Amino acid sequence: MQQQPTGHTHPLSGMIAEINQIFSEIGFTFAEGPERELIKHNFDDLNVPKDHPSRDMQDTFYLDGDDTKVMRTHTSPVQVRHMLSHQPPIRMICPGKVFRNEATDATHEAQFFQLEGLMIDRDVSLAHMKGVLEYFFSRFFGGEVQVRFRPSFFPFVEPGVEVDMMIAPQAGNKLSGRWIEVMGAGMVHPNVLRASGINPDVYQGFAFGMGIDRLGVLRYGIDDIRLMYNGDLRFVNQF
Amino acid sequence: MKFSYNWLQTFFDETLPTPAVLEEKITFHSSEVEELVSVAGDTVIDVKVLPDKSAWLMSHRGLAKELSVILDIPLKRDPLRGEVAYPEPLSSVRVMLDTPTCDFYGAAIIEGVTVGPSPEWLKARLEAIGQRSINNIVDATNYVMFELGQPLHAFDATTFTLGADGVRAVTVRPATDGEKLTTLSHEDLTLTTDDAVITDGVNGAVLALAGIKGGLHSGVTEATTTILLEAAHFERVATRLGSRRHKLPTDAAKRYENGLSRSVTPYGLMAGAKLIAEIAGGTVIGITTTGDSSMVREPVTVTVSEINRVLGITITAADVAAIMHRFGYEVVQSGESFTITPPHEREDLLITQDLIEEVGRIHGLNNVHSIPPAPAPLQEINARLYYAERIRTTLVGLGFSEVYTSSFRDKDISHIKNALASDKSYLRSRLQDNLLEVRQQNIPYRDLLGIKAVQVFEIGTVFGTTDEAFHVGLAVQTGTDYKAKLDDPLLAAAVAALESVLGTKVTPMHTAPGYLEFSLEALLAQLPLPTAYDVTVKAPHVLYKPFSQYPSVSRDIAMWVGEGTDVGVVESILLEAAGNLLVRLTHLDTFTKEGRTSLAFRLVFQSHEKTLDGAEVDERMQAVYSAVSGQGFAVR
Repeated sequence: MQQQPTGHTHPLSGMIAEINQIFSEIGFTFAEGPERELIKHNFDDLNVPKDHPSRDMQDTFYLDGDDTKVMRTHTSPVQVRHMLSHQPPIRMICPGKVFRNEATDATHEAQFFQLEGLMIDRDVSLAHMKGVLEYFFSRFFGGEVQVRFRPSFFPFVEPGVEVDMMIAPQAGNKLSGRWIEVMGAGMVHPNVLRASGINPDVYQGFAFGMGIDRLGVLRYGIDDIRLMYNGDLRFVNQF
Repeated sequence: MKFSYNWLQTFFDETLPTPAVLEEKITFHSSEVEELVSVAGDTVIDVKVLPDKSAWLMSHRGLAKELSVILDIPLKRDPLRGEVAYPEPLSSVRVMLDTPTCDFYGAAIIEGVTVGPSPEWLKARLEAIGQRSINNIVDATNYVMFELGQPLHAFDATTFTLGADGVRAVTVRPATDGEKLTTLSHEDLTLTTDDAVITDGVNGAVLALAGIKGGLHSGVTEATTTILLEAAHFERVATRLGSRRHKLPTDAAKRYENGLSRSVTPYGLMAGAKLIAEIAGGTVIGITTTGDSSMVREPVTVTVSEINRVLGITITAADVAAIMHRFGYEVVQSGESFTITPPHEREDLLITQDLIEEVGRIHGLNNVHSIPPAPAPLQEINARLYYAERIRTTLVGLGFSEVYTSSFRDKDISHIKNALASDKSYLRSRLQDNLLEVRQQNIPYRDLLGIKAVQVFEIGTVFGTTDEAFHVGLAVQTGTDYKAKLDDPLLAAAVAALESVLGTKVTPMHTAPGYLEFSLEALLAQLPLPTAYDVTVKAPHVLYKPFSQYPSVSRDIAMWVGEGTDVGVVESILLEAAGNLLVRLTHLDTFTKEGRTSLAFRLVFQSHEKTLDGAEVDERMQAVYSAVSGQGFAVR
């Protein structure tokens, strides 16, 4: 109960630094892109059909006076930007802020942080993705973590999968010993590779995306993600 | 969609595995099962049908087909196979399609029906999946939709005016602006030219909102004896937009907007007409169809090595052939290459990767075994992340806390077209406004947090009219108001520390009393490119504790103690005496005078249940005073 001699790093920054540390050891570079993004990169290049519901005003923030941009709805456009400026082999992560036009509650924010991952080479498969994710979750949560896939769908991947993880049973760890749904992922759709200047007949690879807030909920037991964005030191100073 | 276990069983001779087994099979080979619910004599399987499968999987036939493939058991009946044999063409009804929203329209006339309650088996089917039984005609149309995925609509045929030539006419056309329709469920709609409507082709009256909802005026009543049964195909996007516009997310609209194949429509029409005649005692007089319901699917090719290369598995050509056979595809195999022609109802099999997914999910994604990543050198170091981390570490070392605030403001430069709220309708062009608010908001929590000053910073994106940049903002406040002589030195010390760590001058872009903001972007231009990340410490492994929303109350105590008395010992005495409402104990100072030592502490009390009143806290303090006196310390 003594006064802390130092200040406090926000858990999002702490997690992002640690995520970068873990991925940098296996050669994943840290990429970035604008938060106010071209519609072309946010939707078109990611194989999201012109009439897709996610483009509706109810889901996406549009801007006055610029019909070419939106507030990015995911970190996936950074995949496109990164592939346009790099040639395979590609290993990258992109943690960043994203925006959804939705009402907020304890588990939803109109702005939150996502972690994107991308690995492209001649023969990168779902098996590599499983290995990378097991490596990451094991390091991040500590202990042995297993990963499993279930069929899913996202326009920018094919096949698409839902990823569950299970931390090996540990005494006193409520998260351990059960399957937890953590992210969406899959093999990058050939249309996305093509739009990003990569030949899909030669190269292939995986992409994944997850909420960093969700990692915080799982790791720290945070019960309301809005606390991460309201500047309340009663929250921040616990970290 | 909700599926009835008993209904699914009607597609098989073999007994299906238990609902729990089906749940597991569906989840790992098709779409996620949300829940299993027991209802009278049946089990409902609620499936979150994936968007790419919704065109054909939102029906009992669709899921039965999936189960047949997953479990490798044959369907005893497949109502979407075989040629559709239409009965007599109708001469008494004429259909005109006058909108691109509708490319196929089938109508059947069933005469001599008796509207009444549905047979028990039909009621049971519909009620199991949460549908209310209405009457035999409406129930029959719903049954066919949940069986095959094809929405049907039953009109009282006599609502359509008899033309001079003795023919009734159905015209599907765009609505005119301002046209009205009252729906079967009594919603009064005002239509626009974006809506497609089913109308009486003789007098022009609007009878239904195409693909979404029927009209009240043309619906089946107890007096109805002749049915005009509609099975049509409406365009997906127009239907979705119409359903959203009128806030009518009906089961029919959902199926069209997911891209139901028009090739299913004739099967739906025939099944509906037959079922109505069967349970309502009528006769199918004839059927008329307008437009084209045929669907030509293009062949898609996949090789075994492509499957293995993408999924990272080792499946054999024989296994692939077996899976293709289970799907019942039209397959041409040539060595390890398979060319399939998708069945008419499947609009989701267009490219090689789609077939890889089909094989992968049926074979089982649990057969994907992980390949651990090998360490690899890093090709690039991100300078912004690197320097942001250095700034962060430096500021935290000086007692600053980091915050993340909203990217939105009530008034700024760049306007959002569709904001959530008027106070969030602009993008922030600086961090200052948010940080000054955060600073003020945290002033009351200083005692609770055991801090003298609120010192916060944010590293975040700000937006100009077209550009965006990362800024760093620092805000400091010691008292309840800004006090230059206390706050400015804290800010100056922070800037000096940053300049020393970065080895360059920090140029403020925005300043205010106790506040300073600079551009990280501008700073990066002056800094050398990093060659490696600093080794980061693992983030703390703490568990977040929910905090009380009620205010805290502070009390100070000072006492004389014997020289050399351990502060820790005194603290434990205070902690013990103050009880469980004490949330923070801060040692304020120690000084020694004439052989006596004075210790001062601040005790902060707070409840999780209520706002504490002064008397309650005083009571706690009395206990503290007694404990202190009991130790022979003199309270000052």
